[in-house]
Amino acid sequence: MNVQLKKTISIAAMAAGIIGMAAALYMDFSGSASTIRGPLLIAGALLVIAGVYLLPTRKHRSIINVLFLFPLIFAFAVTVLIPFACGIFYSMTDWNGIKFEKFVGLGNYISMFKSNDYIYSFVVTFIFTVINMLAVNLVAFGLALLCTSKVKGRNFYRAAYFIPNLIGGIVLGYVWQFIFNKVMTTVIEGSTSMLTDPNLAIAAILIVSTWQYAGYIMMIYVTGLQSVPKDILEASNVDGANQITTLLKIKVPMIANTFTVCIFLTLVNSFKQFDLNLAITNGAPSRILAGKPVQATEFLALNIYNTAISKNQYALGQTKAVVFFIILAIVSLTQVSISKKKEVEM
Amino acid sequence: MKKKVLAALLAGAMTVTLGACGGNTGSGNDTSKADDNTQGTTDTADVSKDAIRFMNTKIEIDGALKEFAKQYQEETGQEVVIESLGGGVDVNGQLKNYYAAGNMPDIFAFAADSYKSSFKDWLEPLDGESWIDDTDYAFKGEDGKVYGMPFALEGIGLAYNKDILDKAGVDPSALTNINAYKEAFEKIDSMKDELGITSVCAVAAESGQMYWSTGNHMMAAYISQGKDRTDKDIIDKLNKGEIDKDRMGQFGDWLQLLFDYSDQNVLISGTYDDQLALWATGKAAFITQGNWIDPSLPTYEAEFACGLAPAAFMEEDTDGIIVDAPAVWGIYNESDKIDACKEFLKALAESEEGQRALVEDCGMVSPYKSCTLEPSTPLAKSMLPYIKDGKTYAWDWLTQPEGIAQNATGAVFELYAKGQLDKQGFVDTMESVIKDYVASNGSN
Repeated sequence: MNVQLKKTISIAAMAAGIIGMAAALYMDFSGSASTIRGPLLIAGALLVIAGVYLLPTRKHRSIINVLFLFPLIFAFAVTVLIPFACGIFYSMTDWNGIKFEKFVGLGNYISMFKSNDYIYSFVVTFIFTVINMLAVNLVAFGLALLCTSKVKGRNFYRAAYFIPNLIGGIVLGYVWQFIFNKVMTTVIEGSTSMLTDPNLAIAAILIVSTWQYAGYIMMIYVTGLQSVPKDILEASNVDGANQITTLLKIKVPMIANTFTVCIFLTLVNSFKQFDLNLAITNGAPSRILAGKPVQATEFLALNIYNTAISKNQYALGQTKAVVFFIILAIVSLTQVSISKKKEVEM
Repeated sequence: MKKKVLAALLAGAMTVTLGACGGNTGSGNDTSKADDNTQGTTDTADVSKDAIRFMNTKIEIDGALKEFAKQYQEETGQEVVIESLGGGVDVNGQLKNYYAAGNMPDIFAFAADSYKSSFKDWLEPLDGESWIDDTDYAFKGEDGKVYGMPFALEGIGLAYNKDILDKAGVDPSALTNINAYKEAFEKIDSMKDELGITSVCAVAAESGQMYWSTGNHMMAAYISQGKDRTDKDIIDKLNKGEIDKDRMGQFGDWLQLLFDYSDQNVLISGTYDDQLALWATGKAAFITQGNWIDPSLPTYEAEFACGLAPAAFMEEDTDGIIVDAPAVWGIYNESDKIDACKEFLKALAESEEGQRALVEDCGMVSPYKSCTLEPSTPLAKSMLPYIKDGKTYAWDWLTQPEGIAQNATGAVFELYAKGQLDKQGFVDTMESVIKDYVASNGSN
């Protein structure tokens, strides 16, 4: 088959395909009720692909590669990339969930940093993230040491500590709310619920969050600890290292990459805390800050949700979500790169 | 060459699967219509295109509405498909989704707040419909035209347990000003043990989960109590970020009275269930809720007589309760069967079957004067005399800036309930949070 003919066929197929797709899209936008537009669109897409495939060129290999990657890239674009771009775009408009009327540039970003509630949420989320990350990892590592020691029934413990993580956050939140509001006030006669004091309410969320998440992180630490080679441990034992030296000088450095994973997971997870926050306090109690009341336990995710849904300010909520993403990306990338440097090569 | 053929085949297979995904969206409308069809009746597909799609947002009345729609079709041949949403679904968000997908229902429910923020461009004016003269509660838009048909009334006041009041010798009909309440509360409080109650009132003011009760329903008294239905003075002020300080002060006294006689644990940390349980099990004489708690009473086997008293927070007498249609039904203005929709709404409002469906089967209070049917639930029944005598105030709280209860005023109620603010502090903080909220959010 001569190259010229092949080239003509492929270009004709591509052109026909593009025209078909354009016609189908035009029909869709003009509100035509014709049912042919679906098949037309698909036929057009197929023709374009066939044309590209048949195109006689030296880049044939790379075209094939792209064709095979296309389904994945397409799905990724439709579900992640395009919505993300739309989100950034909407954050610069006065979008109300239905339509937008004007482009406001960085106006949303400025008004966001001027609002008290957002700044407060920001600070309180930051504090919560730091404490929660430390608490979860310390507890989880402790439990992991317990579950890999020679204690009796360690498999039972392992399962038991893991179970809270299998319960949904909302359910768990309401159960704990009941415990804080009813059980604790009955056990300690005459006391008021922890959830009515701003600082104690944050502590309450910390307790529940640690309780829920430590079991999961523990499992990762257990896997890490089990992968420490036995011969090294025996060697250190022979050399007379005691338990603590073994732990600090051998086990911890050997599982440094596990720490990276766990710290990353808890960091991101605490920062994104939403379900427990919603179920346990939903922002209450309020506290007075510089003469203005603010919701003491409204973390960032909840603040974004309330801005969009309850205040019906979709554009501002979207703005906060974009900033949320940027902060999260920066913090977690920094953390991973720092931790990576501390890991030992096996 | 063989390899090439295989590669082409694989690529082709992949695009076909992709195409299949795309194909579904193209025909999505048809399948969803078919689904609706099966929900309603089983008729041919041709009829379903003429069917009215009715979006109901009160899941409780789903059954009764479907029953009525079936009857209606038998009589007139017009098919009506009832789609119900509810149980915590973000109804306005769902409607926005339908709109974005070009799949709007012909009739949908909305309220004064969502009208303002979202739906005002989508509604067909209903002026000239015969039911408008039969009710005081038709929903009028900004341009004075009628856009919504009311279907149920709800009342806000102070619900009381009549058995306890009778035993204590308190006459509920005398509770029309704050001093009368003060006296009644003192009397009931002194007889606590005799009456078997633990506190006089059941109030919950925690800001995370009860903001809708404090910031909306209790606030409604400040906004409307004692005001003529057309007098929008206070709510207009509020939407401009201002308050009536004197009125807010009196309202503060009223709240203090309620808070003082409440169960303190429920007050600062209780949920709706806690509050309701306290009252429905006869442990409290008053509760700051409206007639929507009726359907929950059988859960607690509450068999006592009860009624709604005015939230009369002032020293002057105000003897009415706050009654309005919390949501209304409107017609989508780009629907191709507007006249058929109007007919259907008319039948619901005026025909005997329609009224029976709403009042008896759904247990709601009818907004229509010609309706003689009475609901069977106690609090709904106790609203009827107020409505008959015209002693009602409007639900102007619905047009507060969106989300203000959850994001601003709810917190002030909580701080006041916990004693972290005194009366002066309450008034001042209210003033400043409302001002700030309107300044940053009132623009839309």
